[in-house]
Amino acid sequence: MTSQTLQKVDHSVLKTNQIIIIVLNILAFVLNLPVIAVFVALMMGLGSALKFPGFGFVYKFILKPRGWMKPDVLDDNPEPHRFAQFVGFLFMAGGSVALYLGSAILGWALVWIVIALAALNAFGGFCVGCAMYYWLGKLKVPGFNKQAPAGTFPGAKPRAGASV
Amino acid sequence: MNTDIVLRFGLAVVIIAAGLSAYWLFNQRLLGRAQGRVFGLVDTLPNKPMIVYFTTPDCVPCKTIQRPALSTLLSLTGDGVQVFEIDATQRPDLAKEWGVMSVPTTFLLDARGEARYVNNGVTRVEKLMEQLQSLSDFEI
Repeated sequence: MTSQTLQKVDHSVLKTNQIIIIVLNILAFVLNLPVIAVFVALMMGLGSALKFPGFGFVYKFILKPRGWMKPDVLDDNPEPHRFAQFVGFLFMAGGSVALYLGSAILGWALVWIVIALAALNAFGGFCVGCAMYYWLGKLKVPGFNKQAPAGTFPGAKPRAGASV
Repeated sequence: MNTDIVLRFGLAVVIIAAGLSAYWLFNQRLLGRAQGRVFGLVDTLPNKPMIVYFTTPDCVPCKTIQRPALSTLLSLTGDGVQVFEIDATQRPDLAKEWGVMSVPTTFLLDARGEARYVNNGVTRVEKLMEQLQSLSDFEI
């Protein structure tokens, strides 16, 4: 494994983003309100464009200042998390389009995939989008040039103190 | 409208239950993987339940929540349980063997060294105590 420079990534902001995505998507499904799914898609798309978790502002401006959530800063690559959010955005956008075109089963299935992957990340510490990023890197796809932190399974949450 | 919401809520519950079942199966797999691994950590069993606690030096929730919870557990149980702490950065081989993908992770082993519970993420003292008390060989 070649040497690479890791950055400080606050996993609490990622977790907040994932939990809000889960809650809003379940709400969208239960209330049968595709507009909420569209809102989630837009926020994830905006977050991808701004290189920040779509609902990260909730953590930054509410949870963190009030001490309701503590930072969980780890040495990690931010790029795979951005890619994961972008993949989530694509699923949400596809789901939203399907819902508005009347394909409810496909639309909600895509929304539930996002819920499942966000839950796996938030509660299981495994980021499927990040794993995809690292696999694409191994396949030498241009733009995917980061490697998983040393000693960390690609996609798994880095163990604090992982070396570069 | 209300019937539709109830139905969809029910469906959401079923889907979530399916997800939780999958998570349970994953944990069962981790427990199966942990069986017998204790003999790679200790030569002789302490003849009491053990908690194998995977952590890292910079893990904030480990410092602020998990370690204090384990200290409280130790003070509550006296010598009734032994905590075996493993720094996953120092022993990545053990973390890999035990299937640990994040920290903190705690395995609860009974006095025979059989892994009975695995907790991924922070686990409160109440839950650890509950798990300990479910072991027939646990005595305070």
